[in-house]
Amino acid sequence: MGTILVVAEIQKGAIRESSYELVAVARELAESGGHDVNGLVIGSGVGDLATDFASKGAGKTLVVDDVSAANYNVDIWSKAIKAAAESTGADLILIANTPSGWDVAPRIAAGLDCAFVSDCFKIASLDGNGGNFVRRVFNGKLDAEVSTSGKTVATVQPGATAAFEGSSDGGTEALSTDLSARASFVEIKLAESTGVDLTKADIIVSGGRGVGSAEKFPEVIQPLADALGGAMGASRPVVDAGWLDHPYQVGSSGQIVTPKLYLAIGISGAIQHLVGMKASNFIVAINKDADAPIFEVANVGVVADLFDIVPALTNALKAAKG
Amino acid sequence: MKVMVCLKQVPHQDARLDVNSDGTWIQEDNIKFEINSYDTYAIEEALRLKDAGDAEVVVVSIGPDRVTQALRTALGMGADRAVHVNDAAAQGADALGTAKILAAVAKEEGADVIFTGLMADDDNASAIPPMVAELLDMPSATGVTATEISEASIKVERELEGGALEVVELPKPCLIAIQTGANQVRYASLKGIMQAKKKPVDVKTLADLGVADSAGHAHNKATINKISVPAKGDTAEILEGSTDEIVTQLVGKIKELGLL
Repeated sequence: MGTILVVAEIQKGAIRESSYELVAVARELAESGGHDVNGLVIGSGVGDLATDFASKGAGKTLVVDDVSAANYNVDIWSKAIKAAAESTGADLILIANTPSGWDVAPRIAAGLDCAFVSDCFKIASLDGNGGNFVRRVFNGKLDAEVSTSGKTVATVQPGATAAFEGSSDGGTEALSTDLSARASFVEIKLAESTGVDLTKADIIVSGGRGVGSAEKFPEVIQPLADALGGAMGASRPVVDAGWLDHPYQVGSSGQIVTPKLYLAIGISGAIQHLVGMKASNFIVAINKDADAPIFEVANVGVVADLFDIVPALTNALKAAKG
Repeated sequence: MKVMVCLKQVPHQDARLDVNSDGTWIQEDNIKFEINSYDTYAIEEALRLKDAGDAEVVVVSIGPDRVTQALRTALGMGADRAVHVNDAAAQGADALGTAKILAAVAKEEGADVIFTGLMADDDNASAIPPMVAELLDMPSATGVTATEISEASIKVERELEGGALEVVELPKPCLIAIQTGANQVRYASLKGIMQAKKKPVDVKTLADLGVADSAGHAHNKATINKISVPAKGDTAEILEGSTDEIVTQLVGKIKELGLL
């Protein structure tokens, strides 16, 4: 019927896992609706990667291969994706909701004057006149079902689907487009190493917005971490408020951790935090709000005031250790 | 230099979230509202430019009468003027429609720099800022945690994954969508609040802005059909009992893991 365009993203010389997750979404829709799937690869010296993408699910793949596209650039990506959308006549354009994806995707929808759905975790259906999408709103507390009419640009939450592992026919084709840019890339600054390395801790005790103030971290959270012989962490709002420094932040923009035991205290569980800790071996959540999304990834939950439970737990652990 | 800040008034982060009667959004009657957290950092970033030089800061918001409160707060923090797009047709507009309205305001204002928050705390969509930039044919950067302004351009740091930052330079005019934690947001002082009462708030309709035929809920291309509490997957085993009983169970679990 129609065409689904899948935009690949390259990181450290390889096509990202999230791009193959988009392929999986596209292939599933294609199978039920008879759509074609096309790929788009943008970068410099990316011919082989594009050939790979074309044969591993993306099908016929357009390539913008130019030294000016070596690093992500909003202007170049915007022009290349719009050109690819026009040349393939795509009804659905899929982009992963990564820092590059959310930077460019809405521009495509505005440029094509078409529908946009952001950060969906499921695409229920797609036909010639739009689709049905599901996404989280209110920091993960509610689901929204969104329908679109006509051509649609959608960003997809990384990790929501397993990556495509099959194969496909389809070669690559150079896409010529205007590559002039106003925005100019300067550099990438890697995270500074600060001595707080949560990725090596066996036990992490993290506090969230519910902890309430900077003073409560040394008073309530650190003592529990100490009693367990673990490290202290935090969710983003804590770092944003200046209660703790960035090295303590667990989440997609902080550290990704997989300890043996993770205690989430006063953390509601925004997606960006869950991404950083949900692979932990055992998760305990303590939160007043029984509906907090954190309980969905926790093994054990306590619905109570953290200021009742945490000091008592700290004392009990100290006593148990003797 | 004219600096425009787009802000959204959203349900308070601790507000009760009940689904409304037609099941398409939350019940908004009798709940508290606040300025979207991301947007407070955008206001602060704009006010820093004003503090440093001769910038005029105009704050813009779309919404019903209650939005006046959010605009007054921003004026109390130090913004110079406000534009309030108050039009029933704009209620429930999708991201692109909303972006068209904001772009029309920006065009009228002739903004050199537009600041927004990266996303809104309610719809978590992160959609409108790049759309506004595209409609105005200006470059944009999202998830910005630091800005350095010069005569003709702004150098920004964008947050990537894992604490890495991307440094990008944008010529003016441009749009910058600010990430939370980018700065320390000021409070409106008592003096600021008193002064804000005298500052102008222009109220506009979609017709005033020339977008009545292209923006607003009647022109939506994306529509929310249903809002619901997510189906719970394998949810946690919830421990019950008194504080002591709960603590005993927790200590037991930690022992079972061999971590004590």
